[in-house]
Amino acid sequence: MASGTVAENKRVTNLSVSNHINHSRKVLNIYRVSASGTDKTKVTFCTDVDKSVIVHNFEKRGWVQVGPEDDWNFYWAVTQSCRNIFSVETGYRMDDKQLINHFPNHYELTRKDLLVKNIKRYRKELEREGNPLAERGDGPGKYLYLDFIPVTFVLPADYNMFVEEYRKSPQSTWIMKPCGKSQGTGIFLINKLSKLKKWSREAKNPFNPNLTKESYVISRYIDNPLLIGGKKFDLRLYVLITSFRPLKAYLFKLGFCRFCTVKYDTSIQELDNMYAHLTNVSVQKHGEEYNSKHGGKLSVHNLRLYLESTRGKAVTEKLFANIIWCIIHSLKAVAPVMANDRHCFECYGYDIIIDNDLKPWLIEVSQFLNNLFSYLVETYIILLSTVYNFDQNTVVHSVKWNKCPPPEALGNFELLLDEELVAQEEKEYSSGKYRKNKCPLNKTSKGGSEDEACVEATGMVCFNHQGACTKSSK
Amino acid sequence: MAENTGKSRKISLQKSAERLTEEIQSMANYKNLYTEIQKLVASTAVKREDFKNTLLEALKSNGLETEIRNTVFHWVRSQIFVTLSFNQMRFKGSLSAVSEASTEEVDLTYLKKAQIQWERRIQKSLNSTCNELNVPLARIRPNADREELAEKWNELSTYDIGDLNNDSLNKNSTKNLSQYRPLYAPKDFLDVLFSIRNPSFKKQPNELNWEFGHIQIRVKTLTQLRHLYVELAKGMSLLGVNPDMPSSENFTNLEEERIYIGEKVLKSNHAPIAQEFLKRGAPRALRGRLWSLVLGSTVKQNDLEYYEELKNMVLQYDIVIDKLIIKDVQLTARNDDQYFVFEDVLYKTMLCFSRDSEVLAPVTTDRSAGGQVIHAVLQGKPATLENTLVFPPSGVIPFHGFTMYATPFCYLYDDPCAMYYTFRAFYLRYWFRLHTVSSHEQGIVALCLLFERLLQCHEPLLWIHCRNIHIQPVKIVFKWIMRGFSGHLPPEQLLYLWDLILGYDSLEIIPLLAVTILSFRKENLMQAVLADLSSLKVVPLLQLALLRE
Repeated sequence: MASGTVAENKRVTNLSVSNHINHSRKVLNIYRVSASGTDKTKVTFCTDVDKSVIVHNFEKRGWVQVGPEDDWNFYWAVTQSCRNIFSVETGYRMDDKQLINHFPNHYELTRKDLLVKNIKRYRKELEREGNPLAERGDGPGKYLYLDFIPVTFVLPADYNMFVEEYRKSPQSTWIMKPCGKSQGTGIFLINKLSKLKKWSREAKNPFNPNLTKESYVISRYIDNPLLIGGKKFDLRLYVLITSFRPLKAYLFKLGFCRFCTVKYDTSIQELDNMYAHLTNVSVQKHGEEYNSKHGGKLSVHNLRLYLESTRGKAVTEKLFANIIWCIIHSLKAVAPVMANDRHCFECYGYDIIIDNDLKPWLIEVSQFLNNLFSYLVETYIILLSTVYNFDQNTVVHSVKWNKCPPPEALGNFELLLDEELVAQEEKEYSSGKYRKNKCPLNKTSKGGSEDEACVEATGMVCFNHQGACTKSSK
Repeated sequence: MAENTGKSRKISLQKSAERLTEEIQSMANYKNLYTEIQKLVASTAVKREDFKNTLLEALKSNGLETEIRNTVFHWVRSQIFVTLSFNQMRFKGSLSAVSEASTEEVDLTYLKKAQIQWERRIQKSLNSTCNELNVPLARIRPNADREELAEKWNELSTYDIGDLNNDSLNKNSTKNLSQYRPLYAPKDFLDVLFSIRNPSFKKQPNELNWEFGHIQIRVKTLTQLRHLYVELAKGMSLLGVNPDMPSSENFTNLEEERIYIGEKVLKSNHAPIAQEFLKRGAPRALRGRLWSLVLGSTVKQNDLEYYEELKNMVLQYDIVIDKLIIKDVQLTARNDDQYFVFEDVLYKTMLCFSRDSEVLAPVTTDRSAGGQVIHAVLQGKPATLENTLVFPPSGVIPFHGFTMYATPFCYLYDDPCAMYYTFRAFYLRYWFRLHTVSSHEQGIVALCLLFERLLQCHEPLLWIHCRNIHIQPVKIVFKWIMRGFSGHLPPEQLLYLWDLILGYDSLEIIPLLAVTILSFRKENLMQAVLADLSSLKVVPLLQLALLRE
């Protein structure tokens, strides 16, 4: 009898999750009881993302697929189902053995307008504290170390501020992006205020009411991007977060560059040619020149080889250190507002453009949903299993575990920052117990000896305590 | 007696010096060098009263002496017939050392004949392509096309061959690129090599006839290779194994040490020192400059002018090779996830290369060449001398994958001109031997033979396994060898391999690596699977092969 109810309700929940909140809560409760009879020694996973690469990689580890109402350990969810789970109304409570792949308010990082807002607030706070990180440089509004996103305003709210900034350099080009959309949709470039006014008139057109609701961000366009073979590209890097407070972040080593298929050209005629300006694969693949064999992607490893060979080692190292710098500070900017649920982890896609002076600019952060490819998913799952102490066949995991994977479990990820480890070290250091060979951050791939790697990895945090010296030296 | 040898030595030394003075005058950078020296003589540093000593001193202090030394070094390396006197003068590159050994009385003229036949076959196939598509071998480029090409010189990927039809006079003369096919692929060339017969070799009635064993070229044994690649065999610390390896000196790690020494080497500007340095691997940031120094391909003013001339030649003449080149870049680099970003620069490089008549002489007069040259009369012109050109001007007819000889240089140089000259120097020193049949110790026949011998001696089980399933082992590795592994290894690994080619001035490392990979992947091979090479680390593998005794 119980199974009949479940089957029926499962159908209902699948059809319209949000309209049946009360109903499904009951179902979930019922089902959690009924599922207790299943094989508890297997790790179970659940996904509502229709991608074989996910299912395949979970199954490869011997995990068993179950439905969302079953007793899952690991939920690879679309944001909507994640929102439902965390909504107050469903009252779903995850136990110690359950994990989900989004933070409830991940949009603080992934929505274009909120990211900008958070970074602006972060800078102001540091400035108020008198933190040397927030030191100003020449020119108004310029931060020496925290100027890593292009000047950005939210429209229509900040329209007047934008006009003021625009008038300072009327020659420059700006890029308009709808806040809530991804994959390059709705993006356009403007180089005249009149064009923006025209757009705004059209957007307010009563026949097109949908457009008026949408807010946009307008950012100064990076019009001197680094070109290779005459073409523009951006970096797509993946960053895994297992906790925001303390911050624990890992960088996927096999990131790549996404190239435009058309030569870069800033002339006015070409301003509307999105194949020369937008690097999104979803845009480029419609171009005539798109090559599906490589999809316009060059590995970051090869980019580094090219840059070191043609521009030198020191500038290349500085560039990559600055890239890490922008990732870490974007994360620190959102950390205070993130709902740091211990059941959550999330992998974000970072889009970074490098300009011709080899300065990286953070363009946006996206959710890790599109663009799934097998080796990324695989290393991701392996790392997660270790972070959360999931064993292949038996469930011995718990979110109470301290989330410090040993170096050998990192695979193609590298540790960006673990504030907990850093704090521990600081404590040991200040109490005089610091010993060279007892470094947990055993990053042999980077520095020569272990203690040096430590300095490198903890550099970011030393910074917070001792002032703005570390960045320039490392 | 001793006096006698001393005397004859003196005479031969004098002879060589005379020859050197004569030939140095026809070298590309002679004019530059001469002007520089004249300037120096006119300066106050050189005193009239003590002309010789002050001149020598001045030459030394402003670096011209090094330039002269490097010029001599490059001249010696370019010598085809190495005379005994030069061996005595200890200018013994590994190339010259080996050639001495092979001057034994073995009749290898059948290889020469095979090459002549092969060249004729390619030319015939080229002619029939032209006939089939009804296009001329060469013609003056129509104006509209010339303008289009000039305008798109920096983005030739957008150059539309179809637009040639604008030219109303030759409406049917140009065809869509899709009708062009590469003249031959590595597979076809391997078939040619397999069909080579040593006329004095008596074949057993029922013996399979697919090995190079009957060709009497002397190749090295593993022991001899260990002797040659002594730095690898001794287990010295090399870049490309682990750059974070602790350094022997007071540096953070090996990479730091190599960078420090490498910069000193570059500062000294001595080509032979740079060559020696490459044996232990070049740091990324210095590699481009080191390679140019070793090959004497550093770009000077006259090189820039010459490069511009080549470009003008491309604009002026339309030859059928152009389509084959564009086709080849499209088939290779454009589809390669390591090289696609460099597509445009590769078109330029390969087109200019086809017009480079400085390539012709070394390629056609080398003892591995058949010397067959096509002369093409420009379409619609009387067959007079001034309307006739060597076709193509470089004498090199591209094949499928030819572009891969140039692609790795894209990672080293931003400047297309610098890339061009180092690629050209590399081609002339090494690559052209990989697509010609010859008895040369560095030629493809010798390299295949070396591969077979090494495999047979050191992996006999694998060898027998291949025989049993009727697969010629060389078939598996031939495309690696013919392309010097370009496009088969990730760029960084490939550059480490090519460091070794330059450092030891020998291609023997290529068949050695091929054998090592087969040996390393033996298990897979036995099950008839050979995965891709993207995860291999070249230097440790080679070290593994050379280290064990």
